[in-house]
Amino acid sequence: MIAFFFVLLAVSFVSLVIQQFIPPLEFLHHARVFLMPLVLFYGALALPYGLMLALAFGCGLMWDAMSAQILDIKVAGMMTSTVEIALGWSILVYATLGSVMSGFRPLFKRGRWEIHCLMSGVCTSLIVLAEFLMLSVRRAALDHSAFVFTPEIGWRIGGAGLIALFLAPIAFWILSTLADLVGYNPRAAVKEEDS
Amino acid sequence: MKRFNILALVVFIVAVGGLFALGPGGTQKVQSTFLGIISPFLKTGSELEKKITAVRGGLKTLNQLETENKQLFVRNKELQAVNSTLRDLESENNRLRRALKYRERAVFRLVPARIIARDSSTWWNTVRIDRGFEDGIESDMPVLTEDGLVGKTTTVARNMSTVLLISDENCKAAASIEGTREQGIASGERISTSGIPLIGMRVLSKMANLQPGQKIYTSGVGGVYPSGVFIGAVKEFKVRELDSYATIVPAVDLTTLEDVFVVLGNK
Repeated sequence: MIAFFFVLLAVSFVSLVIQQFIPPLEFLHHARVFLMPLVLFYGALALPYGLMLALAFGCGLMWDAMSAQILDIKVAGMMTSTVEIALGWSILVYATLGSVMSGFRPLFKRGRWEIHCLMSGVCTSLIVLAEFLMLSVRRAALDHSAFVFTPEIGWRIGGAGLIALFLAPIAFWILSTLADLVGYNPRAAVKEEDS
Repeated sequence: MKRFNILALVVFIVAVGGLFALGPGGTQKVQSTFLGIISPFLKTGSELEKKITAVRGGLKTLNQLETENKQLFVRNKELQAVNSTLRDLESENNRLRRALKYRERAVFRLVPARIIARDSSTWWNTVRIDRGFEDGIESDMPVLTEDGLVGKTTTVARNMSTVLLISDENCKAAASIEGTREQGIASGERISTSGIPLIGMRVLSKMANLQPGQKIYTSGVGGVYPSGVFIGAVKEFKVRELDSYATIVPAVDLTTLEDVFVVLGNK
């Protein structure tokens, strides 16, 4: 189990690197391809709750470390640095969605692999939506910019989920194969936990 | 809930709380460390991507010629950038000498850098370059090409840096308009509705009356960007209730950008 947790953590890192080289998809209004959440959501089904939290921490920290923006703003005439979305917010979002996903473990135990596929699509969109809401609130507080939601923004949020929906079965198959390779049977582990 | 899960939850909350308590300095350190870890992977990925692209394009070149070509290419771009900067400075100098008898400005010290990765996030426009504090780069340094302004550095690791592109909403540059005394603030848009990233110019007076094609340059106010760097050309101009707003097409094609220069300072 622990070995598989580290395998998932390593795969998360690799998927984050690969993600950097995938350009946005023009036909989906420049929506982005997110691979790391697919790994996290598989982990939420395959790992016990405690290890899912650890995986969410690892993934969220890596994502925040890659994307956190440090801005210089003027407060009362003095220049000061601020972080747009602080380190830790993605971890909370990942852990919350991972917890929701964990609730579907009984279905996963019964062999319903499509749960990962459907929920990965929904949760990936929710991650992008959460980021958008956080930065909108933050920017509104900093420069009083208005809340804007255009169809383009909707496409970016929904498109990311659609892509995840289509990629999830492939991710599921790869990660299940890796679980076999390290001698971990996620479904048996869920049954064991229940008993 | 099992005891292990409760313990894991407590440790998780404490760890996340610890991260929230980090200020910008701490965040920058974490980012810098992580960029240091990930940079060899990104560089390898970038090389791999280039090789795949070269193979796909049917390009077959000798290693020696390729290396020489790369060096000449970088040198050529550097000279073009210096040239362009000199032209801008020359015209600015002439103007200022005539008007205010300002002292002649020196040209920039430029560090060539290659883009090794683009941000995969939806809401931020950043790229990673293969130069870091080992090459003298610090945060808030202007980044440009021979065509114009690209953005500025933010987080700097040992041999990799993050560049916030001018098409990002958070990247703000004081700008002036060619042939007028109008000044404004150029910054990116949260979401561009067209295929190409656009820049918005705010805080313009209602009397600005900009015409499509008019050129926008950095004004040098604010201290980050030197004056006279080409930002882009006006695409649209709208008069609003309190001010006016211009949409600018960036001078640099930010979507296909490969090589940039970081301005270390004046020569």
